Amino acid sequence: MSDEQEFEPRIIYFLCSWCGSGGGETAAAHHLHYPENVRPSRVNCTGALPAVHIIRPLIEGADGVVISGCYPGDCHYNDGNFRARRRVALVKSILDTLGLEPERVWFRYVAHGEGQRFVDTATEFNDHIKKLGPNPLKTRSDT
Amino acid sequence: MNDKGAILPAENGVEAAVVGWLKEALNKKVFDALLMPVQVPAGDSFAYLLLQNPALLENGSPLPPVMPVQGARAISRLTMRGNGSKRIAAVVRPCEARAAIELTKLEQAHLDNLWLITVDCPGVLPLSDYLDDPAAGAARFVEASQHWDRAPMRPVCQICHRFSMPASDLHVGTLGSADGAVFVIPGSPKGERVLESMDMPVDAALDDWAAQVKEMEEAQTERRQQAHADLRAGIAGPDGLLDVFSDCINCHNCQRVCPVCYCRQCYFESAALKLPPENYLTRSKRKGALRFPPDTLLFHIGRASHMILSCVSCGACEDACPMSIPVAQVFSLLADRAQETFGYVAGKSLDDPLPLVAYEMDEFHQVEQPYVEIYHKREVQDA
Amino acid sequence: MPEGLKINKGAQEAVRELLCSLLESGRVNGVLALGRTRGANGGVAYSLFTDSDAFVADGAALPFLPFMPANAGGLLSRLTLKGSLAGPVAAVVKPCELRAFIELVKRSQGSLDNLLLISSTCGGVYPLDVGANGGLEERLPRYWEAVKQGEVDSDVRPVCRACVHFVPENADITVALVGEEDLDTQCTLFLDTEKGAAFVKGLEGLQGTSLSGELETEPIQRSHSQRAAYREELFAGVEVGMQELIRTFGRCIGCHACKTVCPICYCSLCYFDSQDCEYLPEIYESELERKGGLRLPPNTVFFQLGRLAHVSVSCVGCGMCTDVCPADIPVSTIFSKVGTSVQALFDYQPGKDVTEEIPLMTFEEEELAQVAT
Repeated sequence: MSDEQEFEPRIIYFLCSWCGSGGGETAAAHHLHYPENVRPSRVNCTGALPAVHIIRPLIEGADGVVISGCYPGDCHYNDGNFRARRRVALVKSILDTLGLEPERVWFRYVAHGEGQRFVDTATEFNDHIKKLGPNPLKTRSDT
Repeated sequence: MNDKGAILPAENGVEAAVVGWLKEALNKKVFDALLMPVQVPAGDSFAYLLLQNPALLENGSPLPPVMPVQGARAISRLTMRGNGSKRIAAVVRPCEARAAIELTKLEQAHLDNLWLITVDCPGVLPLSDYLDDPAAGAARFVEASQHWDRAPMRPVCQICHRFSMPASDLHVGTLGSADGAVFVIPGSPKGERVLESMDMPVDAALDDWAAQVKEMEEAQTERRQQAHADLRAGIAGPDGLLDVFSDCINCHNCQRVCPVCYCRQCYFESAALKLPPENYLTRSKRKGALRFPPDTLLFHIGRASHMILSCVSCGACEDACPMSIPVAQVFSLLADRAQETFGYVAGKSLDDPLPLVAYEMDEFHQVEQPYVEIYHKREVQDA
Repeated sequence: MPEGLKINKGAQEAVRELLCSLLESGRVNGVLALGRTRGANGGVAYSLFTDSDAFVADGAALPFLPFMPANAGGLLSRLTLKGSLAGPVAAVVKPCELRAFIELVKRSQGSLDNLLLISSTCGGVYPLDVGANGGLEERLPRYWEAVKQGEVDSDVRPVCRACVHFVPENADITVALVGEEDLDTQCTLFLDTEKGAAFVKGLEGLQGTSLSGELETEPIQRSHSQRAAYREELFAGVEVGMQELIRTFGRCIGCHACKTVCPICYCSLCYFDSQDCEYLPEIYESELERKGGLRLPPNTVFFQLGRLAHVSVSCVGCGMCTDVCPADIPVSTIFSKVGTSVQALFDYQPGKDVTEEIPLMTFEEEELAQVAT
């Protein structure tokens, strides 16, 4: 067994309460499975997710953060997902400038009925993080 | 508006000329009051004074050697809850004016009855250098600024490429003033009216000045890009980054003096980060130890995520840091990159909406993670 | 005579081993102590250690480093603000930090439960700018020489040189440092409380001989007189009067950093940051009419006087405020001076007794007759 396979990533998956969680529920209805180490965390709307809460997990123990919500135009609150997209762009810019691997943050739309897409995202991201390896920031005691 | 200016004779130097002009404006009731840096009684610093007594202008300086308080903070304090009946002219540096514009967009300042007057800026000395010997510092500043030598200035002043006219109402163009005169350039109808009421015709060509400004801006831009590239190489990655912040004592001075950080209670000092002891012990177990107080890095990156799009690279943060951490240098690098991503320049214009407030349907697709249809068949492809 | 334990190892090493054993044996769940951050710059920070390996490795703990990046009294408050510790945690703190914590406990900002408080007689700390960028290393030999002789290195914080409370109170264990000439090869731990003794008794790997001794030795008494003399001199040098205060605080930029690092200033939202101090334009304009000129941001001296009114009764003279001031104002000298007078007025010693009420929270029917006219 290679080291890569032994490493079980700690992943936070932020889902909006509407499409994002809906995708999760649809996946459940179809008995689709996603890796157990991917931990869903529900927010009301991706636009309500503060930038700090994307950064904080990466310092405190997560190897990756995924954010999924409604497609543009479908947001229950009209424009929350547009705000989220801009916020993610900002966080990625900061992480990139500081050399902190912005590829550990993914932003992907998942519609209410897209159970397969939800599961695929979780799985794909898990594999992606396994390849990247553990987040070097999370073991630093001097953060 | 920018191709012509009024002439202000300056045989006794720029300071004297500008102070004289402001005195005249005050006496003629063009303005009811001025907000500008004035030397403090002990003579060892400068403070922003709102004044209507012209005698107080004796110790006034439009370009003091230091910037202990960022002018936009003073403007925000004054106008946070609105404008009064008095017409106030604020004499500030370009970065302070830009911060004031950002604060206005953030509803922390109101500029309706306030005129922003700026001057071409050679930078400011780091406060601690100046305080070692204020008289020597003042002399050093005068000497250096006459030759536009930025070596003694704050590190971010050394790489500043926005040192000339911002979106102010009036701007004093001093670059290249050889024949004992400077330009007073109107930047708005409000500014034009001032010059009119002072009988200062706006008919001098600005070509020379504009050319010198452009040349210096280009040179400074190159310096800035090189400095940022070098800095990034040194701080990128957890090791480099935590080296930079290894001395940080969490005093939050940087946040307190930042003009754009306006929150009464900063998130990073709020109840959100005051947690039960089990939280700290668990985190310590996970990492082997936990720096205390915790959340040092989170504070800096988090603060950046809150204000970097309005950062004007003034350098107030670095001046205030008791541990000499190059905060402003790191933040000016983050600001340039983030603002570029959004096609935004902080403080450039009141008409540019704040990037996190505005949005388009069709943008930033590079942030959206593309979906590979066949992933569930477990064929891994480059996404 | 207090019970002591003499260990045949240098003080820093002995205490580090003690803390390590406490962690390894499970007698404590964590240790709060100074240590090096992992950066190449050699930054120093307090850390909450839970792993004895980390304790001696990269971010090695250096319990008695003469440096105070934050007042640990405030840190202990942070640790126990939202709840008492469920299990024991040891903390190595300086006397003034301990006193600050006691003051905070009186204000319901922390809890003493399950804390094993280890302190030492203190030779002072260096100002922050000395320690920035790894500048501490070269100072240490000189520092420890002075401590051994019962003296204070002249480069430490002025309020440290003037500190007469350098013998800790309310510690569970006190390590004798000041005036101990053979600090490098042996050290004495005074077990001040039953709790302290219980944690140490029978601890595996801890070899020491019991003794009875006096913490306040002759060198300590000598040091006390020297410091008291310097204190008088330091306080006499403070310029008082309204004009002088305006001059001294002329450089103040209103950053309020002094308030942020002060352990006693615990308010989440300071009065001076609140809406009460966000004035309507009419207020500014009427003040301007009255005075002809008005400093902005306002309340420069008012903030200092107000903060004195709020905290001087509990000021422990740690010196964090001066160190952090970007304008080089000797805040801690002024606050210590005023603090000392105020404390004398109420016959109150901050941090001495956790059951003693804060003077402003209590009263007698008959007292302070000189105040009412």
